[in-house]
Amino acid sequence: MAGTKRSKRFEVLENRPVHLDGFIGEWIEVGLYAMGSPQDPKPSIRIESGKVVEMDGKVRADFSMIEQFVADYAINVKNAPEAMAKSEVEIARMLVDINVPRPECIRIFTALTPAKIARVMDSMNIVEMMMAMQKMRCRQTPANQAHVTSAKDHPVMLAADAAEATYRGFKEIETTVGVVRYAPFNALALLVGGQVGRRGTLSQDALEEAFELQVGMRGLTHYAETVSVYGTESVFVDGDDTPWSKSFLASAYASRGLKMRFTSGTGSEVQMGAAEGKSMLYLETLCVMVTKGAGVQGLQNGSISCIGVPGAVPSGIRAVAAENLITMCLDLEVASGSDQTFTHSDQRRTARTIPQLFAGTDWIFSGYSSTPNYDNMFAGSNWDIEDMDDYLALQRDFKIDGGMRPVKEEDVIAVRNKAARAIQAVFAELGFPPITDEEVEACTYANGSKDIGDRNIPEDLKAAERLMKDGITGVDIAKALAKRGFRDVAESLILMMRQRVAGDYLQTSSWVASDGTVYSAVNDPNTYAGPGTGYKMSDERWEEIKSIPWAIRAEDI
Amino acid sequence: MAQSNEELIASVVRQLMKELNGGSAPAAASGDAGVSAADYPLGMKRRDLLKSPRGIPFDELTLENVESGKVIFEDFSISADVLNYQGNIAVSAGRTQIALNFARAREMTKIPDERILEMYNSLRPHRSTKDELLAIAGELQDKYGASVCAGFVKEAADVYERRKLLKGDLPSTD
Repeated sequence: MAGTKRSKRFEVLENRPVHLDGFIGEWIEVGLYAMGSPQDPKPSIRIESGKVVEMDGKVRADFSMIEQFVADYAINVKNAPEAMAKSEVEIARMLVDINVPRPECIRIFTALTPAKIARVMDSMNIVEMMMAMQKMRCRQTPANQAHVTSAKDHPVMLAADAAEATYRGFKEIETTVGVVRYAPFNALALLVGGQVGRRGTLSQDALEEAFELQVGMRGLTHYAETVSVYGTESVFVDGDDTPWSKSFLASAYASRGLKMRFTSGTGSEVQMGAAEGKSMLYLETLCVMVTKGAGVQGLQNGSISCIGVPGAVPSGIRAVAAENLITMCLDLEVASGSDQTFTHSDQRRTARTIPQLFAGTDWIFSGYSSTPNYDNMFAGSNWDIEDMDDYLALQRDFKIDGGMRPVKEEDVIAVRNKAARAIQAVFAELGFPPITDEEVEACTYANGSKDIGDRNIPEDLKAAERLMKDGITGVDIAKALAKRGFRDVAESLILMMRQRVAGDYLQTSSWVASDGTVYSAVNDPNTYAGPGTGYKMSDERWEEIKSIPWAIRAEDI
Repeated sequence: MAQSNEELIASVVRQLMKELNGGSAPAAASGDAGVSAADYPLGMKRRDLLKSPRGIPFDELTLENVESGKVIFEDFSISADVLNYQGNIAVSAGRTQIALNFARAREMTKIPDERILEMYNSLRPHRSTKDELLAIAGELQDKYGASVCAGFVKEAADVYERRKLLKGDLPSTD
């Protein structure tokens, strides 16, 4: 363009944030294709003596390990002939037809092959997908999950942020680390802080698979989520697992009374350079079906950490909504992503979340950054705590339940302070490096880690190592809290330990209320069947959503 | 329901696999106190069925009893029976595969943490020879009576052999 006279209009447009985003055209051979690639397999199924002997144009002897697993564990062969005989459009219409009940949709959907499922999705537009989500998500009442992380892995700040997050309404909280060796302390901070903000909070510590299981076994976390599955054999193996090892791991979690879900997402195979020329959504369909076959109750998907890939190609964000919808249609809990940053454009980051937020999912975000973006150790978040009042306004504008509630400053300060003092007490009781009153004060009032001082990191890391080596458990933490006067927090920890005995939260799409009652797709199933049915916001909840503190009240004028 | 449990779970799993592979409707609650989705959540509706693995009733799993030492960390563990109940609940809510997962989990309650982690690592790709996997299957069967898990590991061994995912199948990185 050098030398040519420029349009001022185009110069303005080129300087908009959206021009900093990456966009790329479709590229079939490397799998840079959102959905409906010409190279995707054509749907077919052949069953002999109750076994799938051909699927999507491939005979059994040629099945990859993933295809064999899916064929044997994730397709109801009894219903398959009937389901596969229906056209894609016919099945898509069932999903949006209020006269076809959810269980009937599930019966058909769980008898389809991967290629068929991908094609059903490709026959729907985004609004139809949203209509289907409203009917097909497992649990009737939507909920929300937060990320609670710290650029300094500061245990006091993590505890305070965990408390604030759960007080604001997040029912699950997830952490990860900047420095790996801090991991046990991060789990501890969320365990304590999460219960201070709301009794019944489920917390997790996203790290390497074996470590996650270990801290769960110890009662320092309640669930795990970052147990990844992939859509091509080579990428699955690169991820150092198979459907069998991952299923074995899933059973290990259940055997210890721990909730868990798998994780996958469109774009991961492209990112790892082995998409085998298939569309992202086709490969993701295999991931959802592996999850189904493993008997795992749910899946975190919605591209997650690979969102930049579908975000760059045509129809990519539609494919992300489609992968969430597939999860729901296979009767699995969905933690629907909406998490990682992928764009510089405020319009795009809001629009990307609308299908999940407006239709409602089991976990709309997985998760929403409860800290400023610079403290988000999941590589930055699409939404963060500084967007919270925007989020509250959206709930109020559209009368939707995004899982959050308006809060008062003095109440947040109080729960942050209590969480900081509780973790201070635990550290003192267990002989970990002291937490000073100044640290408690700073973390009570801080926005992010830039507002607080530094810990003695080598000393903290030594103590974190000791926490693991000495075999300290959730029961030990409860005892320490009780001894130091935080009896109510200790009671909360025990209430959560009891969940391991009852196992109710192992069922699909669970969360725990403050009285210990578990709600899930079993006792809160989605009954949506058109206007006037399904999730109905209570008057009390609507009053809460309406009452953003900064709105002018008519009586004050 | 002590010794008959192995048989019971094996028959439940056969039934589940049959359902998955085109058989008739599963027996929603084969034995096991007839627990179904109507009893859910057990922690609220059927506390009578819940106890720690060494027999402490659910209602006694309290902070006070933790402080007095009557209740210890190990009491906060799920029992094989409760995994059965939860499996029945999953089936009666239409989720067959979850019940299969819980059938494996039920067997794993007998296996120590360390050994489970080791077995998991052995099942990762290119970690074990076929014989090593079959030895694990044998251990699961003989030492822990874990026939569902044993069958699952054997199946993995066959798949790994066919797909060249056994230890010898790649140049060693050691």
